[in-house]
Amino acid sequence: MTPFIAPETVPSASMESMSSTMPRPLLEVEDLRMYFAITSGILLSRHVGDVRAVDGLSLSIQKGETVGLVGESGCGKSTVGRAILRLYRPTAGRVIFEGQDITKAEGSTLRAVRRRMQMIFQDPYASLNPRMTAAGIVSEPLEIHGVSSGRERAQRVRDLLATVGLDPDYGDRYPHEFSGGQRQRIGVARALALHPDLIVADEPISALDVSIQAQIINLLEHLQEEFGLTYLFIAHDLSVVRHISDRIAVMYLGKIVETAGSRDLYERPLHPYAVALLSAVPIPDPAIEGRRRRIILTGDVPNPSNPPSGCRFHTRCWLRERLGNPERCVEEEPILREMAGRHDVACHFAEEVDGTAEQVQVTGRRAGAGAAGEAGAQGAGTAVSSTSREPETGATQVVVAPETPTAPEGPAPRRRDRG
Amino acid sequence: MPLLSVRDLVVRFRTHDGTVYAVNGVSFDLDEGETLGLVGESGCGKSVTNLAVMRLLPAPAGRIEGGRVYFEDEDLIALDESEMRDLRGKEIAMIFQDPMTSLNPVLTIEEQMVETIKAHKKVTAKEARARAVELLTMVGIAQPEGRLRDFPHQFSGGMRQRVMIAMALALQPKLLIADEPTTALDVTIQAQVLELLSRLAADHGTAVILITHDLGVVAGMTRRINVMYAGFVVESATTPELFAGPSHPYTVGLLHSMPRLDAQPGEPLIPIEGTPPDLRFAPTGCPFAPRCAWRVDRCWTEMPSLDPIGATTEVITTGPEATHRSACWNRPTAAEAAAGRPLREGFVPAAQPVEAAR
Repeated sequence: MTPFIAPETVPSASMESMSSTMPRPLLEVEDLRMYFAITSGILLSRHVGDVRAVDGLSLSIQKGETVGLVGESGCGKSTVGRAILRLYRPTAGRVIFEGQDITKAEGSTLRAVRRRMQMIFQDPYASLNPRMTAAGIVSEPLEIHGVSSGRERAQRVRDLLATVGLDPDYGDRYPHEFSGGQRQRIGVARALALHPDLIVADEPISALDVSIQAQIINLLEHLQEEFGLTYLFIAHDLSVVRHISDRIAVMYLGKIVETAGSRDLYERPLHPYAVALLSAVPIPDPAIEGRRRRIILTGDVPNPSNPPSGCRFHTRCWLRERLGNPERCVEEEPILREMAGRHDVACHFAEEVDGTAEQVQVTGRRAGAGAAGEAGAQGAGTAVSSTSREPETGATQVVVAPETPTAPEGPAPRRRDRG
Repeated sequence: MPLLSVRDLVVRFRTHDGTVYAVNGVSFDLDEGETLGLVGESGCGKSVTNLAVMRLLPAPAGRIEGGRVYFEDEDLIALDESEMRDLRGKEIAMIFQDPMTSLNPVLTIEEQMVETIKAHKKVTAKEARARAVELLTMVGIAQPEGRLRDFPHQFSGGMRQRVMIAMALALQPKLLIADEPTTALDVTIQAQVLELLSRLAADHGTAVILITHDLGVVAGMTRRINVMYAGFVVESATTPELFAGPSHPYTVGLLHSMPRLDAQPGEPLIPIEGTPPDLRFAPTGCPFAPRCAWRVDRCWTEMPSLDPIGATTEVITTGPEATHRSACWNRPTAAEAAAGRPLREGFVPAAQPVEAAR
């Protein structure tokens, strides 16, 4: 298994600022494997197989960068986050944090590293102890790591609560007295307490109401700018991941199938799965929805304890069907290869994806090009159905969001505004 | 004559913590074969409205305290329980968010489907079974004969939702209420289920009420949309009109606070500040006022009615010509809706009057 980035030779960088003299990444993951044993029997439990949650995954994150990890439930994306923080002991592979191999770290070494890597969890209801006050929750990391004490610590906690937009006087309240969005702010404050370098955010907004999600996204962006944080942002919602990430890795069944700069991935996805995933995300605009080409994948995600041979996506692949079901997809496992500058794809036939109507129409923005690709897509077979959801009215007017960002005075500023 | 007509529906819950004002005077109509989206976040009353239509509110806490629900001219609120039971499933069917909890885990799919069919139609068990096979085939489940003997846990989430759709359409209802049918599903499975739902509804001429918090889902699936907030319908329009010219600050806020797949890089999100209101307090004024950037003094004390936009006096409530209406004292202009914030020189949202502060 070749890692998609040879860490010494090709340093990772966001697409915009590619350079051969980039510093060493903050985090490097090499050929990570995380298997969970399946046992059978009551008294004598026999090892009968493994759930291969993560099966040979490589990733690197530069300091100050946000890398998005997307995929459907069960693809192993949360396991990657937990293995990086060493909440699990990886089955194989290496996790390197600032040049230090922490894969087998124990005791005080591990504790010292964990101080610099923190996590924000999905469920702000389950991830806060209901019997501790907000201040108690936020000061716990300080206690565990013996940072400050007494009045100084109390002041630090008040500062942290203010930083995440909570009233410091609410510190003596319990989690149930806060709304979902406020609770997630407490979770963010706890993650910030030890001045970490890396924050793994595992679906941090998916449990929140739609009108609250933007508040937390803006908060995370604002904090990144203020404290120079590095994020691994794990989520299933591609719209959110696109918004917040510099680079994105798409996972399918324990492996990365495509990795690219955020903009590049959305404009020119090259893996058939990435194209299908993007095409399935609804866009709140009936005119665009009407002209998009939606790829309906058949069936469900296969069982990760017994993944398909060769390319793991071949059982559901729309492109393979169009190409007349080549045997190579079943026999040979595709490796991640560089297709364009810093755009890696694990598909034998990624060249065939480029320029198809499916790829061009993925976000519905690039009209015009669709007509040329139309003919090619007609014989696409059953997997591709160009669902015509167009209301007959044709929707002449479209609200085009302003091209130049005109942020109001109030909320947190965008990272790139201050640069 | 619309298929369904809800008039001034008021639903309250009596709980230990006091009265919850869940639905506060909701009216809407639905034609045969029409698809209507009900959009709003959790607690806005969109699910409760439809549970009230189905007369499935949790008793004794939930009560319909006012209003009328007409289905094909019949007042559903006046029906007794046995008449209502005849109607459910046969005339109005419902699909819920979580297919695992809405299927019985200890019965096979066959037992559940046959039970549904036999409850409403005089058919033999064999005929009912044949119909079940036909329905599973229709929703794209392979080897339907064999799968009928399986239990719900042997199906994946997407397949369970297909089974739910098959059961909902078993008796060819005139109205299908789908309450967040794809929220528990992955995005690729969501696409499968939505495609199936819209195709089947169109084939059978079934009217659909699609309840969701996802504006993207309703954009592709519905012809008309009601946006709800805190138990009120705050905006009502045909789908193209709602997205082209949102005219309630909450709708504008929703559209600007969600990242879009097709957004320009660096486009900022404009969040809706604050949190949804506590429904244990009787609404005074517009419930969105505390979070609204357009609020004026009147918003704190008086709830505006759902009025047409522009000079129209005649209101069309259904179909592609439906009148665009919103409940707002200070509607955002088209430019403001596009920008996501008020653009008027020197405009400051009105402060909460002292006497109204709790």
